[in-house]
Amino acid sequence: MSPFLRVLENEVQIVALLFLASVYVFRILWILRFEPTRERTQPAGSKREGIAYSLLNISMPWSMEALRKKPGFYIQFLIFHLGVTAAIAASFIIPYRPELFRTKAVVLLFQIIIGAAFVVGLVRLRRRLRNPAVRLISTPDDYFSLILMILYFAAAVLAVPNRFPPAEWALILFFGLTAFFLVYVPFSKISHYLYYPFARYVLGKTLGHRGVFPIKEVKEETAFGPPEK
Amino acid sequence: MGRQKNEPPPALKSPLETSSQERARAANLGSVAKGRLKLYDPQVDNVRKFLDLLGRKINRPLALSFAACVHCGLCAESCHYALARPDDPTMTPAYKADQIRRIFKRHKDWTGRIIPWWVHARYPRDDADLNLLKNIVFGACSACRRCTLNCPMGVDTAALVRFTRGLLTELGIVPEGIFNVNRDQWETGNQMAVTEEDYLETIAWVREELESETGIRGIEIPVDRADCDFLYVINPREIKFDPRSLGDAARIFHLAGEKWTLPKWGWDMTNYGLFSGDDSLGAYIAENVYQAAARLRSGRIVISECGHGYRSTRWEGYNWAGRDQTVPTESVVITLVRYLRQGRIKVDSAKNPEPVTFHDSCNIARSGDLVEEPRWVLRRVCADFREMEPHGRENFCCTGGGGLLSTPEYRSLRLEAAKIKAEQLQATGAKLVCTMCHNCVDGLADVIKHYRLNLKVVQILELVSRALASGNVQS
Repeated sequence: MSPFLRVLENEVQIVALLFLASVYVFRILWILRFEPTRERTQPAGSKREGIAYSLLNISMPWSMEALRKKPGFYIQFLIFHLGVTAAIAASFIIPYRPELFRTKAVVLLFQIIIGAAFVVGLVRLRRRLRNPAVRLISTPDDYFSLILMILYFAAAVLAVPNRFPPAEWALILFFGLTAFFLVYVPFSKISHYLYYPFARYVLGKTLGHRGVFPIKEVKEETAFGPPEK
Repeated sequence: MGRQKNEPPPALKSPLETSSQERARAANLGSVAKGRLKLYDPQVDNVRKFLDLLGRKINRPLALSFAACVHCGLCAESCHYALARPDDPTMTPAYKADQIRRIFKRHKDWTGRIIPWWVHARYPRDDADLNLLKNIVFGACSACRRCTLNCPMGVDTAALVRFTRGLLTELGIVPEGIFNVNRDQWETGNQMAVTEEDYLETIAWVREELESETGIRGIEIPVDRADCDFLYVINPREIKFDPRSLGDAARIFHLAGEKWTLPKWGWDMTNYGLFSGDDSLGAYIAENVYQAAARLRSGRIVISECGHGYRSTRWEGYNWAGRDQTVPTESVVITLVRYLRQGRIKVDSAKNPEPVTFHDSCNIARSGDLVEEPRWVLRRVCADFREMEPHGRENFCCTGGGGLLSTPEYRSLRLEAAKIKAEQLQATGAKLVCTMCHNCVDGLADVIKHYRLNLKVVQILELVSRALASGNVQS
């Protein structure tokens, strides 16, 4: 391993990670600066159940009509985010638990997951470019973030075998991109995962209190009739 | 020449009409003098004022809805405007929300402030830009919250739309129809400017008609009676256009042996504060109702059949008014459920033999808690109840929600988007479409007329009243 790659895999990543963490602290403080709302009504449901339902909503694709109509969209979402998880995991495994990638099956598994995410990334880019509604709402940041992810997946597929010197350039590319990501993410749409729990928590709290969440199917008649209010 | 593909609808080019505002200024109305009803002033820097208001009024849930959108475009699958105009990308809820989101980003977000073009952040340039924003938030969205429930990120686009409406209302950049209703609510305490004399006369007339029609002696429609079991608050439409609804309620309450009253003041439970985004109007109207209940020491507040009235009085009003809810507040449908459960009224479903389907009001199903209850009642009073698809929380808007019935300039777009509702209604094969919302009655009637459907709109009280069995005696 070249000294450059060693520094890139270790010190550079740690500095970039610390940068990301500190910017995220400011981001969270920024969110908390906005006044929270206070619910003054008597509940018709449970806030707690609403919050749980709202946060777990993403694991229940059947709960959203839009996803029931477009199951392919959900499958893409799963593959893409599994790929992200695998690539991020690889950025820790390579420097800290490299022995894991000495097992060919593990490498292959990672390559398949990340490779599938790469393909989904391309499909998503095509959709963003071709679907007029999505194209209209897309910003340069949306395109750049997606292209960056596609490149990142490609670099990760090449990097996970963790072989140098024959493929050191792949590792340099992968860790270079990882470091760039860590610095860029807090300023881009990729930080949506930071807002996600907050946004879903707030929505779940409101709609849980009102008895809208958890969304239930309209039941057939029962002897007990509708719930007491 | 026909409409070009991808061309925004002409409704979104509607100019700002201010003649009603000029008249309000000339008449020096009390609400104008007190600074409650805001008028448009072209001489001031409205963009600056808009930004100041945005900075001041934004709260945490809104900030999160601004920040969390990933532009996936999935919301287009749930919006009746987008579904009815698939070739028009400007109908995508995320696009509509982005028109205010870009201002938020430019004004508040780090990236948007430093490199605005990178995230499409932009300030409005002038009043024309604000007018376009007005046309989008008032004219191309009924704030039905369908996209909210279908957003994987939990972005509440309907809340962003209402927030933007509120900012524009503060500047007087508001559709004339909405302005007029706001004015009437501020000036008279009810949205149809019904005078106290008209109100009391109509109630007396309804009572007389009811007695002669049903032959039941001693039916009362009490006004301002203290210490009743409940205070009944209604939609002014029930006084002005559809007194049958009040009559049906009075008949049922009478047979159930209920001790109830209407208030002399604070009887309008509808609330244009919800549609115009004006929280102070919302608080004023809701507070009228709450104060009436306190003044008359009513045991509870019962809200007549109205979607936005229910949402405003049961849910939002307490928050707008900054008042903790102490009095139980319920829809009249819950009252009906209680009567049926306790056997206080007897019904015969054979009296409603026609096939009936149920339309869920957005404000009740997606911003409130009632989905099972109206169906429970309908299954008891109708012989042939059938669901429309989708139904419940996923039902489509009647297309007249969000104040759109007061804005003729957006009617053509609204009725074009109503294609989705028309197809949904037609597929049921029902002869009657029942709803628990006066606004939906008018919205659906418009859809039925425009698309020439063989359907009639009814309400739950009407069907229950029709189904009352002969065995009912005055309790």
